[in-house]
Amino acid sequence: MELIMDTTVVITPSLTLKNPIMSASGTFAYGEEFSEIFDLSLMGAVVTKGLSLNPKKGNPTPRVFETPCGLINAIGLENIGVDAFVRERLPFLRQFDVPIIANFFGSVLEEYEQTAEKLNIDGISALEMNVSCPNVKKGGIEFGKDPGTLFSLISKVRSVTDKPLLIKLSPMVTDICEMALAAQEAGADAITCANTIPAMAIDEETRRPVLGNITGGLSGPAIKPVSLKLVWDVHKCVRIPIIASGGIVSYRDVIQFILAGATAVEIGSAALRDPLCFSRIIRDIEDYLARHSLERISDLIGKLDVS
Amino acid sequence: MRDIEGIVQSNEEVARGTFLLRLACELPPCSPGQFVMVKVNSGYEPFLRRPFAILLRQEHALEFLYKVKGRGTRLLSELRPGEAVGVLGPLGSGFTIPEEHEEPVYIAGGTGLPPILSLAETLRRGILIFGAQTGGDIPLLSRIEAIEGIRINLTTEDGSMGWKGIATDMLDTVLQEAKGPVTLYACGPKGMLRTVSETAQRVGSRCEVSLEEYMSCGFGVCSGCVVETTGGNLRVCREGPVFDSSRLIWS
Repeated sequence: MELIMDTTVVITPSLTLKNPIMSASGTFAYGEEFSEIFDLSLMGAVVTKGLSLNPKKGNPTPRVFETPCGLINAIGLENIGVDAFVRERLPFLRQFDVPIIANFFGSVLEEYEQTAEKLNIDGISALEMNVSCPNVKKGGIEFGKDPGTLFSLISKVRSVTDKPLLIKLSPMVTDICEMALAAQEAGADAITCANTIPAMAIDEETRRPVLGNITGGLSGPAIKPVSLKLVWDVHKCVRIPIIASGGIVSYRDVIQFILAGATAVEIGSAALRDPLCFSRIIRDIEDYLARHSLERISDLIGKLDVS
Repeated sequence: MRDIEGIVQSNEEVARGTFLLRLACELPPCSPGQFVMVKVNSGYEPFLRRPFAILLRQEHALEFLYKVKGRGTRLLSELRPGEAVGVLGPLGSGFTIPEEHEEPVYIAGGTGLPPILSLAETLRRGILIFGAQTGGDIPLLSRIEAIEGIRINLTTEDGSMGWKGIATDMLDTVLQEAKGPVTLYACGPKGMLRTVSETAQRVGSRCEVSLEEYMSCGFGVCSGCVVETTGGNLRVCREGPVFDSSRLIWS
């Protein structure tokens, strides 16, 4: 009998992915460029560039810098704004048979709320909230660094949208479980674990920072072991699904993250280097399942053997 | 845009630290000024691809010139015939071909030569100014001199070859020599491009410049390489690398 392999994963009852492979916000733009070399319909989900209430110009250049096995970016969340996205970019993405997850952010609670409301429309399958932004009304402390602030922010956004709500946490907190639990209690449907790791680069010859913004976020294979531990920690403390993000480049990474407790994964930096990596990784996952005589990838979620 | 393999046919040092790489490669048709992102290794260190202007694209081959500057180009320089690299392209937008009555004036400085040489080899008419630091830095001199229909002006900062000075020193003289309207095409250091752009504005000529910028993806998804223009931020890798110089905001 031929083995039927099932790569589907369920994030919420209304958000089932045909496979666990998603794009990571900020490395996929709004999908047009990638659609030139592969069919976006093969992906588990597409996560858009971060959207804000108003268009955002982003940081001065240089915005990217390569580091050992990764890169630091300080794009500054440049985007066309939620209205232009809905009007000009969403119709293109909707041609594909793939869930569209809109990533969004704000600098005050009201901006998060209004942006989420504008995204509570047909064609958007879920929202992913970036909480690593400075709260300008609270002295610039990131929303995602205080469990109380995070809880109120998510509760407020929860009340204006019926879309599945993913919370993309910052890795740079004393205890990520506190944040994940606050998100779960406030009604989040899933945790994306995690954003880039704050980082910087200095040019010793010019004695100046390399990036226009001075600091940025580190991504790529360099951070994978850190992300893996974060997912493992979050898995032990919450019931809601986890979407892993941080340095994934191969099916081996994907399987490792799923064993650590992830339901799906986001691939970012690897796609900058290899735009065709999504299809390759999906194929390799199927091979892995066949090789291990496994019927369902979902059977592996959190099944790390620590005996 | 395609992601394909290129097999090294030859990889030779043609000037001090500058190599000419020829790949067996089935890159789709492209225009002068477009570029490719090259994956020089199969591991993850270095992590990113490297951008290179296309010098020549043939049905089954691709050539580009590169200068060894860091880890990526060093690895590239060590490749031997038969070895493979990844090629993503063609990328970006190339130069606009001038009208029949316009004389092209090409200005290249240092590592800015490849896209300009590619355009000159395609158009086979006009005037070329190429500036280098020293004579030993000038690659492919016989190939440049062999382009029919092109008048060539060389400058070196140390005076070891051609005129002593920088490329833009010759611009006014060349523009006076030109018959009728000209279109300027330039690639090189930012300061040079700015001078060329200001000169073009002063004499009322159309001018296109090819920008070099640090890139991570090269195909428009990361917004890492933006440049400020009169139409807002534009991506050097996607809307560029060639821009009408009147649209650029020089800071």
